[in-house]
Amino acid sequence: MTVVPELEFKEMLDKLNFKQPRRSVVLEPRDYEGRFPAVLKVSSANITHKTEIGAVVSDIKSMEELEVTLGIMKSKFPGEVLYVEEMAKKGIEVIIGLVNDNQFGKLLMFGVGGYYSELIKDVTFKRVPIDRFDAEDVITELKYGNLLDGYRGLKSDRRVLVDLLLKVSDFAENLDFSQVDFNPVFLYEDDYLIIDAKMVI
Amino acid sequence: MSLTDIFSIKSVCLIGASREEGKVGNTVLKNIMKAFKGEIFLVHPYAEEIEGIKCYRSVELIPHPVDLGVVSLPAEKAVEAVRSLATRGCKICIPVAGGFGEQGREGKLLEIKMMKEASKHGTRIIGPNCVGVIIPRIGLNTALTTEGKSQFPSDGGIGFISQSGALGLLTMDKFSDAGIGFSSFISLGNEIDVDETEMLSVLGNDDRTKSIALYLEKIEEVDSFLSESKRISTKKGIVVLKGGQTEAGIRATSLHTGSLLRTSFSLRGIFRQSGIILANDETELIDIASALSFSKPLKGKRIAVVSSAGGVGVIATDLLEKNGFIVNRPSDSLSSRLGSKISSIGSPYNPIDMTAEATNLQYEGVIEELERSGEYDAILAFVLFQTYGVTEEIISYLAKFNTVGKIPIVVGVIGGLYSRDALRKIASRGVAAYPSISRAVTALSALRERGVYLRRFER
Repeated sequence: MTVVPELEFKEMLDKLNFKQPRRSVVLEPRDYEGRFPAVLKVSSANITHKTEIGAVVSDIKSMEELEVTLGIMKSKFPGEVLYVEEMAKKGIEVIIGLVNDNQFGKLLMFGVGGYYSELIKDVTFKRVPIDRFDAEDVITELKYGNLLDGYRGLKSDRRVLVDLLLKVSDFAENLDFSQVDFNPVFLYEDDYLIIDAKMVI
Repeated sequence: MSLTDIFSIKSVCLIGASREEGKVGNTVLKNIMKAFKGEIFLVHPYAEEIEGIKCYRSVELIPHPVDLGVVSLPAEKAVEAVRSLATRGCKICIPVAGGFGEQGREGKLLEIKMMKEASKHGTRIIGPNCVGVIIPRIGLNTALTTEGKSQFPSDGGIGFISQSGALGLLTMDKFSDAGIGFSSFISLGNEIDVDETEMLSVLGNDDRTKSIALYLEKIEEVDSFLSESKRISTKKGIVVLKGGQTEAGIRATSLHTGSLLRTSFSLRGIFRQSGIILANDETELIDIASALSFSKPLKGKRIAVVSSAGGVGVIATDLLEKNGFIVNRPSDSLSSRLGSKISSIGSPYNPIDMTAEATNLQYEGVIEELERSGEYDAILAFVLFQTYGVTEEIISYLAKFNTVGKIPIVVGVIGGLYSRDALRKIASRGVAAYPSISRAVTALSALRERGVYLRRFER
C-alpha cells in the first residue's frame, strides 16, 4: 500500500478539472500568488493525517505571516515539498471516498463529512459505476441528508453534487486505487471545492 | 433439464422413507403425502409398503422416470441414491441430510462425487443439507418439520429462498399462521449446484410469484446476483435479509474511507442500486415481501391515516413523519366532505379519527373520499374490531379497494384472538395487513422505496 504524494494527486485532479482551491508550491513566500487568508501544507508520501503532527498551518493572513510560517515549517520538515492554498470560504462539508473492496469491487462512499465524519458515521456505499439515480439516491439514504438543504446560512445545489458524484464515479472506473478520500468537500450554492484529497494505491 | 420444472412436478420418488414416527424419512413422507397432487414412489430395501404406499426395491424398478427425487439418507448412501435417480432420468434431486461440505474435506469430496453423477445426466441438485422445498400450488411439501407442530403455507404470491433451512421454516410457520400465502419456499442448503442467483431467476420468471424474499448468509457471485436482481426488480419487488458479517472491509485503513468501510459498511446503498430492499429481521423480511406482493408501489409520500382510535392515529402519524412521510391536512372542501361521513365528535383532519362511533360504512365513505380527492398517495387504515360498528363484512370492501382503488392501502389490525383471526382473513384476501402500527409503517416505507426505485424507468 503506497501513499501517493498529496501534491501529485492534487495536480492529477487539476488536469481532470476537479475544482480545488488555488495552490502554489513554495520555496519562498513570493512563490505564492493567491489571496489571503491562506493555508500552508506539507506534501509527503509518508504523512496521511497531517493535522495531528502540525503539518498544516491555516489562517495565514499576510505575506509577512507566510514568511515566518514558511521558515518554521522548512526547519520542521526538511526536504519535504511545501505548498500554499487559498483558504476556501465555508461550505456544507461532505466526504466522498473511493475504496476497492475484495468482495464488492470499486465502491463510492458518500457521507456527512469533514471533521466529524468518522464520529457521525453517516455514510452510504454504492458500486461503481453509479448512474444519475444512484447519485440522487445517496442523499435520501443519509440520516442527516437534510444538511444538504442548507443550515446556518449555508446552501448547496443538488445538481452540482450529483454531477460531482458522477464525475468521481467516472474517475474511479479508469483508476487503479486502493482508497481515495475527498475530505472535506465544500458544497456551495452553485459550486463545490475539494478541500483535501488523498490517494492510496 | 430446467429448474423451472420445480413448479410442475408430477411425480416424486422418496428414497429413505421410514415407518418409524419421528424419523426424518417418516416426516418427509407424511408431508409429501398430505397434499401432493402427483404420483409418489418409494424406494426401500425390504419394506413392502410404508404408510400404505408401495415400495420398490430400487429406482430402476419404478415404471417411469420421476420429476423429483427426495433423498433422506446419510451422506454416503445419498450419493449412491442420487446416482441411481439421475441415471433413471430424474429432473431435480433434493438430498436432505447433512454430513457433506459443512463437515470438512471428506464431505466436500462426497459433494463433488454427487455433483459429477448428477451432471452426467443433467439432473439438478437443490442442497444437500437443506430442509427441502414447499410449492403450495402443486401441494408439494418435502420439508422436515413435524405435522401438527407447525403450519404450512397456502398458495400465494411470495417466493421465499433461504440459506438457512431452520430460520426459513420458522418464518414460514409464523407467517402461514398469519394467513400469508407463498408461491414457493426453497431451502438452498450447501448449494453444490443451484445457488441463490439461479433460484432468484427462476422465481423472477414465475408469473405467480409477485415478490421475492431471500434470507442470505453469503452471496457467491456478487456481480451476477446484483445484475439478475436488477433485471427482476423492474417486474417485482425483492427483499433481502442478510445474516452474518459482510466481508467488506480491507485490512489497512489508512484513510477515512477505509476506516468508515470497516466500521459503517452497509449493503443498503448497493442493494438499492439493483432495486433490492434490505430487511432488518425475519419479521420485516416477510412483512415487506407481503406488502410488495399485495400492494401497489407508492408514488409519493402523502399518507392519510384513518382509524377509530385517536391514539393509534396519533402514534401512526408520529412514526410516519419520522420515516419521511407527510401526514398532510386535507383541503377545506375535502375535510368538510369527510366530516359529513363521520360522527360529529370525530376529526375529519388527518389523522382522521372516526371515534368509537365508527362503522363499516363510515370507513368505506372516508376511504372513497380520500381516493377521489387526489390529495393522498396512500391510505393507512386501522380497522379496529373492538369498535362496535366495525365488523368482518368490511373485509370484502378492503379486498375490493385493494384491487380497484387508485392508491395503495395498508391495513393495521391491533388486538387479541379475535383481531388476529380477522387479520388472517384480511391477509388471505391479498390485502397488506399488519398487527402493529410500526409494522404497518415499515410496509409503507418499503412500498415507498419501491415507488422511488421504479421512477427511474418512467422518464
